[in-house]
Amino acid sequence: MAPIVRIENVVKEYPLGNLVVRALQGVDLSIDRGEFTTIAGPSGSGKTTLLNLIGCVDVPTSGVVEIDGDSTSKLHDKELTRLRLHKIGFIFQSFNLVSVLDLFQNVEFPLLLQGGLTKKERELRVRDMVDKVGLTPQLRQRPNELSGGQRQRVAIARALVTKPKLVLADEPTANLDSVTGLAIIELMREMNAKESTTFIFSTHDPKVMEHASRIVHIVDGRIHSDERTDFLSSPLAETGGRAEAQAAP
Amino acid sequence: MNSLSYWAVLFVASVRNIFTHKLKSAVVGLLMCFGTGLVVTGTALLDSMEDSMSKSITSSLAGHLQVYSAEAKDELALFGGMMMGREDIGRIANFEDLERVAEQVENVRAIVPMGIDIASITGGNETDRVADTLRTAVAARDQAQIDLLRLQLSLMADALRSEFEAKQAITADKEALAADLQNLDRLQSDAFWLSLSDDPELAIQFIETKIAPMSSDGLIVYLRYVGTDLDEFTKNFERFEIVKGEAVPAGHRGFLFAEKFYEDHVKHKVARDLDRIHRQVHEEEKTIAEDALLRTKVGQMSRQYRRISFQLRPDDAQNLTSELRTMMPEVRAKDGAEPSLEVLLQAFLEVNDQNLDERYAYFYESIAPKIELYKIKVGDVMTIRAYTRSGYLKAVNTKVYGTFNFRGLERSDLAAAANLMDIVTFRDLYGLMSETRREELEQIREEVGAAEIDRQNAEDTLFGGSGQSLVAAPEDTAGFDEFRGQDLAGIREDLAEAYNQRFDAETVARGVALNAAVVLEDPDRLDETKAALQAAFDRSGQPMKVVDWQTASGIVGQFIIVIRLVLYVAIFIIFLVALVIINNTMVMATMERTTEIGTLRAMGAQRSTVMTMFLFETVVLGLLAGVAGALGGALFVTWLGHVGIPAGNQDTLIFLFGGPRMYPAFGLANLAVGLVSILVVSLVSTLYPARLATRIPPVVAMQAKD
Repeated sequence: MAPIVRIENVVKEYPLGNLVVRALQGVDLSIDRGEFTTIAGPSGSGKTTLLNLIGCVDVPTSGVVEIDGDSTSKLHDKELTRLRLHKIGFIFQSFNLVSVLDLFQNVEFPLLLQGGLTKKERELRVRDMVDKVGLTPQLRQRPNELSGGQRQRVAIARALVTKPKLVLADEPTANLDSVTGLAIIELMREMNAKESTTFIFSTHDPKVMEHASRIVHIVDGRIHSDERTDFLSSPLAETGGRAEAQAAP
Repeated sequence: MNSLSYWAVLFVASVRNIFTHKLKSAVVGLLMCFGTGLVVTGTALLDSMEDSMSKSITSSLAGHLQVYSAEAKDELALFGGMMMGREDIGRIANFEDLERVAEQVENVRAIVPMGIDIASITGGNETDRVADTLRTAVAARDQAQIDLLRLQLSLMADALRSEFEAKQAITADKEALAADLQNLDRLQSDAFWLSLSDDPELAIQFIETKIAPMSSDGLIVYLRYVGTDLDEFTKNFERFEIVKGEAVPAGHRGFLFAEKFYEDHVKHKVARDLDRIHRQVHEEEKTIAEDALLRTKVGQMSRQYRRISFQLRPDDAQNLTSELRTMMPEVRAKDGAEPSLEVLLQAFLEVNDQNLDERYAYFYESIAPKIELYKIKVGDVMTIRAYTRSGYLKAVNTKVYGTFNFRGLERSDLAAAANLMDIVTFRDLYGLMSETRREELEQIREEVGAAEIDRQNAEDTLFGGSGQSLVAAPEDTAGFDEFRGQDLAGIREDLAEAYNQRFDAETVARGVALNAAVVLEDPDRLDETKAALQAAFDRSGQPMKVVDWQTASGIVGQFIIVIRLVLYVAIFIIFLVALVIINNTMVMATMERTTEIGTLRAMGAQRSTVMTMFLFETVVLGLLAGVAGALGGALFVTWLGHVGIPAGNQDTLIFLFGGPRMYPAFGLANLAVGLVSILVVSLVSTLYPARLATRIPPVVAMQAKD
């Protein structure tokens, strides 16, 4: 089976005044289904840029980004949007919940955008997802009534409710205290195992990094190192391990 | 396709966004609310005004539709147009034919023939009036009355003589003045008064032709009149009502003054001035002490004392003098002697805020009955003159039966712009010849030996050697004896005959009219009936123009269009400003929501979804604010409908308001127009910011670092 993400010699340049900033200078990366990968690196290293390209919210200046077999540079805005809607879930650093909608509505929103489910089916899916992130008692609360950790859990539920093949999280723990942050990573890891969803997240927190099955280090727009961790031996690693095995040449 | 829940959640999000962004919503909402209120109020007022004005016009003069010849050179303008009442609107050769066609058309209640023209009436001056009274006195052999009138004439002659003697020093035409002085001597001679018993008519004609022209206080009034079928007119124009006198009896010739015209132009000058001052003090709350214009008016009025003194009979003058002396003991002549009547009258007319009411009452109680309050009284026969189309001056005598008003428009000059006359007299005056007139003219031609000369033979006939004189040399006649030997009394009787002539309905119908008013059963179907009527005339081979009342009323009818235009321009400008403000506010709001929109886009919301959310927001806000504004406007109009909007003394407003106050009402159409226009404006003003929002890239969601 083809990898869920395939990146080949990708260059991304941004104009900055008269200068051109090269955020990525020839990156090759392949991520298999079911992996729990972190992209690490210092600020300005290009990790967010890489994540944007994988998340189809941006396209490369040159090179190929393939998501589930679709090359993003060939797609128009509408098709990219559809790709995001059906295959990718997002978890943001600042949670980015829709403040005027309550918890249930926030989680339900991607399903509504997708369409195709009955009201009952949607409700089942949403309740199930909210239950998994442990927020059933807060189902009708608005984001401003929730704590940071709770909000990020809502975001996780929202990202996963459509059963995407790939979930992207940009510094998901940066705005949380360390205990909550670890709990969120645990939750993501759990979802990764249960739903066999591929997770890619960026972080520069070594403690968070430890939980990943694969750590890709980016420095100055290039992949500096790409390593599998001990995490493989942990009980949760079984599913991840299978994915890795498939990806092996 | 998107489920209902999709729309529902977008809707919920939009509504909640409105209440979350309170400042933005307040600014935009207030603007929309105000805009809607303005549209509702403005259009409701205009509609009410149009309605009132339509009633003013349709129920006073125009009817719902007007018909006139398709060959007209100018456009019909019932209330006066660019040609000041001399528009050439062609003519309807035989009204009967028109009537026959119109009566076949459904929804037509009546068709009334009309002819509008301007004319002048010249009443005699004071001398003429005395001469006329003298004629009655002589006929009645009332010697006491004759003596009184002789005294009055003699006093007038004295006044004129002193004027002429002063004039003699500066005039170039001394001969004419000398002749006038001679005639005055003659009037005051005993010989003249002796001749009165020999040939009274001759003596009176002397007064009328030689003495009367010396004083210039005669009456010349120009007026517009409508010659019409008075019976039909009264029946079909519901606002018509008689104020003074009576309606012209069926089949009679006659004239009706518009009451306001009568009061403003025919009433005694001093009475008119006094009325006006009295009205301004009491209705406009001005004071003579503070209002310079009003003071000037009082000054002008007081100099008109001769208009009273000349009209008083000597015995009345004496009584009034003593009464005024008692009333104003402080008034003295310049040399300190007992004041004369003229000095007293001048002082009496110098009214101030304190004595105005008292003197106004005294004037109407004690002076008015002794003078001629109206130059032409109800019941009088007056001579009315007009130029015919071909330029001849025509004159007819007509009896004044009374005055009329259009209910609610009592104080509008516009509504009083036309006086009424029977159409048969109109035809005479307009120079449209009846059979008898034609015969008469033929007879005169024969008598003077005038011959028709055709173009080819003109030179021969005029300058050829036949030696026949075409025009007889006028005999040298001069002096007042030019009437000697003629049957003057007989001629007067002939003249009297003309206005007493009766006519039947057939005469009214069978003849010329200039235009015709069509009154409908159901005015709401005006356009439909107009088309049907036009088609009927086209089919019948009578080339006629059918126009609605608004077009027919001329400039007045265009008022409402102008006002509407002004309102629309004002609304347009206000909306333009609102558009810019709403647009700016929304752009700012969009900027604030970049992350939220970017997040939605990242999650997979298409641009159209973002657009929908924005439009929802505007529409919901527009509806909320619009409904509030429409309700506000409706309440305001309802309140105005209770208290009424006063027209004040603005003549045009009275006419537009259909009376002294307008009581506006709003219709559902006004509300709908208000709501729809505000929704359109808000949608248009949201297009740019919404488009801006759809351009927000999903990547901004990732950049949000708290």
